[in-house]
Amino acid sequence: MRIIVQKAKCQGHARCAAQAPDIFKLDEEGYILPSDIEVAEGEELPASRGARSCPERALELTR
Amino acid sequence: MATNPVPDHVPPEMVRDFSLFTSPGMPPTLNGDPHAAVARVHDGPPIFYSRYNTQDGRGTWVITRAADQRKVLQDAETFSSHRSIFSSILGENWPTIPLELDPPAHGVFRSLLNPLLSPKRVLALEPAVRERAVELIERIAASGTSCDVMKDFAFPFAVSTFLRFLGLPDDRLDTFVGWGKDLLHGDDKERPVAARTIVAFIDELAAMRRQEAVDDFMTFIVQAQVEGRRLTDTQVRGIGVLVFVAGLDTVAAAIGFDLAYLARNLKDQQLLRSEPDRIPLATEELLRAYPPIQLIRVATKDIDFEGAPIRKGDYVSCATMIANRDPAEFACPNTIDLEREDNRHAAFGYGPHRCLGSHLARREIVIGLEEWLARIPAFRIKQGTAPITSGGHVFGIENLILDWS
Ligand code: HEM
Ligand code: SF4
Repeated sequence: MRIIVQKAKCQGHARCAAQAPDIFKLDEEGYILPSDIEVAEGEELPASRGARSCPERALELTR
Repeated sequence: MATNPVPDHVPPEMVRDFSLFTSPGMPPTLNGDPHAAVARVHDGPPIFYSRYNTQDGRGTWVITRAADQRKVLQDAETFSSHRSIFSSILGENWPTIPLELDPPAHGVFRSLLNPLLSPKRVLALEPAVRERAVELIERIAASGTSCDVMKDFAFPFAVSTFLRFLGLPDDRLDTFVGWGKDLLHGDDKERPVAARTIVAFIDELAAMRRQEAVDDFMTFIVQAQVEGRRLTDTQVRGIGVLVFVAGLDTVAAAIGFDLAYLARNLKDQQLLRSEPDRIPLATEELLRAYPPIQLIRVATKDIDFEGAPIRKGDYVSCATMIANRDPAEFACPNTIDLEREDNRHAAFGYGPHRCLGSHLARREIVIGLEEWLARIPAFRIKQGTAPITSGGHVFGIENLILDWS
């Protein structure tokens, strides 16, 4: 599973990181790091929760 | 009240008799529920025109759907924030920063300020926030079985946390709260006086910090450089005034509405008291149900937006309390479900102006509820009293007398 990060849409709500801080890493300002995220096996649940929590719809799940 | 003429380009059938200021439940109301009152707009069309919907009595388009609000708020090029809400009270025209700047200028200032209130920085502020909550609540618990939550807890807690962030002493807290009340809820005479007082206070503070640096927010601002230059006096004032005003009322109102809800819903109250781990998720639901703010944008060009003929210069209202009750976004939006998941509410706005203080505000509310529930046994609204609620640009609650005898 991958998470496509649309960095331009991120407004630093940090809801993703609140769900799964080890999967969704934020920069010093509190915005998501730009690269797409490769989800490790066994982490699908927190990863999809985090992606679904983004108020701006900046995170997209793909298989 | 709704006496403004409807602009020619607005089709008469799109005008509705609705106002965040004058509709039923919006003026100060005993035992009111202004959030539930505005939720009724969802029985009507997704976008309509209101003839009286800002503090200075202007008409606005009203965007009710969360998805449409997201579109408006994410598109700052079409829907500008430049409207001098604060300075126009004084008959002046300078922006509060970053609130009333548009990208790209907006981003420069956001990048300057973001690190000061990032999730990481807020974590470092937490112990002091908790200490303050405990101190206030223990004093309340020791002095009886009833209190006015707004006066004795919500305001002193929110405002002193915030003053500490700004680096200001607590001793003028009541004065500051008074200014905030007059500014946000005052009449046409009180508002300009409060605005002028706040500007003078911020200007004076900036001058003092220029003369002698200390380790605080204002010193950071007067020393900051953007694009290689120090900020101008107007920019320093624009930031100082905004950050001062933003923290005065919002968190206190949220805590007030939340404790009023819990006082009336003892099962939920007991659940959170016995299982405090649920408080962070519950706080999100309470932020969804009781957000305080209406956002206003100004159209920079003519645009047909989801069937509405919006013309350049039109005001567009995105009220967070309306988006948060949108049935297309939230299942059973008028049911408060403290276990609601995937709760992408609009309390802190969408788009580049997402609340700068959101990480601090969230933690203040969570900590406030945790410490309150840990120290105050089952509480209700005191018999014979009734909290007064109001709508408007910023929703408020006054006079919340709780009783746990
Ligand atoms: C529950 C409490 C709060 C709520 C619901 C809230 C809500 C909001 C909302 C909806 C906006 C967006 C306004 C717009 O787009 O026009 C905003 C912006 C802002 N808020 Fe808050 N706020 C809260 C607390 C705070 C606190 C405690 C601070 C300061 C420490 C703060 C500082 C700001 C600032 C500086 C902005 C402007 C950001 C920008 O324009 O880029 N807020 N707030
Ligand atoms: S939740 Fe969305 S907007 Fe917020 S930090 Fe994560 S990606 Fe960015």
